[in-house]
Amino acid sequence: MNYITTYCRITSNSISVNDCKTESNTTDLSSNLLEVYKNEALKYPKFHKMDLLAKAAFVGSELILKENTALGNYKDDEIALLFSNSESSEHSDSKFETSYKNNNPSPSQFVYTLPNILLGEIAIKNKWFGENIFLVSPTFDAGEIKQQIELMLMNSSKACFCGWVNVSDSNVDVFLFTIEQNQTEGIELTEINLITLYNK
Amino acid sequence: MTVYIGAEHIISPLGNSAEENFTNACEGKSGIRLVKNGNFKQDSDLYLAKFDEGVNLDAIVNECFNSLHIDKSVLTSNKTKIIFSSTKGYLSDGIEHALVDVINKFILSEQLSNTPILISSACISGVVAIAKAGELIKANFYDNVIVIGIDFLSDFVVYGFEALYALSKEVCKPFDKDRIGINLGEACSAVVLSKNEPIFNEPPLEFVSGSSSNDANHISGPSRTGEGLYRSIQKTLSSGNISKSDIGYISAHGTATKYNDTMEAIAFNRHGLENVKLNSLKGYFGHTLGAAGVVEVSMAMQQLRHQKVLQSLGYANSGDDENLNIITTTEPHQFNAFLKTASGFGGGNASIVIKKT
Repeated sequence: MNYITTYCRITSNSISVNDCKTESNTTDLSSNLLEVYKNEALKYPKFHKMDLLAKAAFVGSELILKENTALGNYKDDEIALLFSNSESSEHSDSKFETSYKNNNPSPSQFVYTLPNILLGEIAIKNKWFGENIFLVSPTFDAGEIKQQIELMLMNSSKACFCGWVNVSDSNVDVFLFTIEQNQTEGIELTEINLITLYNK
Repeated sequence: MTVYIGAEHIISPLGNSAEENFTNACEGKSGIRLVKNGNFKQDSDLYLAKFDEGVNLDAIVNECFNSLHIDKSVLTSNKTKIIFSSTKGYLSDGIEHALVDVINKFILSEQLSNTPILISSACISGVVAIAKAGELIKANFYDNVIVIGIDFLSDFVVYGFEALYALSKEVCKPFDKDRIGINLGEACSAVVLSKNEPIFNEPPLEFVSGSSSNDANHISGPSRTGEGLYRSIQKTLSSGNISKSDIGYISAHGTATKYNDTMEAIAFNRHGLENVKLNSLKGYFGHTLGAAGVVEVSMAMQQLRHQKVLQSLGYANSGDDENLNIITTTEPHQFNAFLKTASGFGGGNASIVIKKT
């Protein structure tokens, strides 16, 4: 059996890990993520170079790893990364487009115009050499995500670190969760359970 | 279970079918051409593999899908899944929804039973998509999977790679000592995987195995040790029960940037694959990003079918300490299986093995 063992929800003004919720009085995602970075003493200078999409995924992943320390027991290639969204890297795409329309194409912004860069950021931080995939879909598709997780766990991966990450100004929608096999604790991986947690 | 792969199709500046692309490549032709003042400041020439003006990009995906050489009932079957691979989708229509519109437009224009998925894992997208297609069939989730890779040229992408100083001012030279960067390209390409051999109009090949692995090293620079590519090849060979001596040809990623090609040479040498005949197809198609994996797998399948391997266009002299057996003349070659690899931004690496049935 596969179980949802940790989950994290980030909106423009709140962050929760396994239902333990912290609210902020601003809806500025960037400053709220920075606040968590400081409060949790994450101490990872590369954070400041990341785009907003990668920052949201990174902060969420660090909070999950603090909550679920057993994830550290897997071998370096046993945790697969499976992230998805509907907006790809649009937040950074528009910044890069602005930079070249202003006659100054920014190489550092261009690098973040691929949604899978955040997979690299998480892999680098944790030295995870496992399987990686980034999916784009019109909406949060629990059935598709569940199927992709099952594929990964049937093959070489023992656990999946998953996320749905949109960070545009009008739509901050971040949901991260971990799936592990043969656990005695956790929520069974079903479409309904994924949708329930996503809508919480 | 045997997973068949076939019906490969390529629409590129080099040709409008896999056969036409292969025939033209055999004649030493390339889709890359000079675009006057194509750079950001419009003061310098660029080499791009660009479609002629007037080609309807929106129609290409449907054309590719509807001209696949398979039993047409597969296209609408509820046992069929479609996987797109793309990095930027319909960016020329604007940034918003550029990628997800690949799915949205396709749903509206075709009669499909299942919603397609889209893999966007930079330059490894196409190879990952084919690996996932094979896994979906082996797991009995679907009987057939159609993988469609698309990416089109745009100012956005050209100026971005120029800002990274990654564009070559001449036709690219993968693995050559004088290589100085990539040429960008555009293409649409498809392959079909199925557990049912009779759906194919022409005899298919066999998908053996595939995998991906991250370098965990740098978001835009290749690993110095080729660790991710090494591990992906390892996983693909072992899960497919394939020995290195079974691999008769390698279709490398070979972008023609200095560090990428060196990284690949290191990874292949660590596996003892340095004597296997190898090419990069970037000299024929440029780097078609999210489509590249599907284009190059289709071309590798053509090479396997015709028992003929293509010259690694642009290569003359080795520039790396680690040797590779790079193909310098298009020539007949008897082989039963090939390895296709890809590496890209985000530290991703992927590989698959395909063999004769």
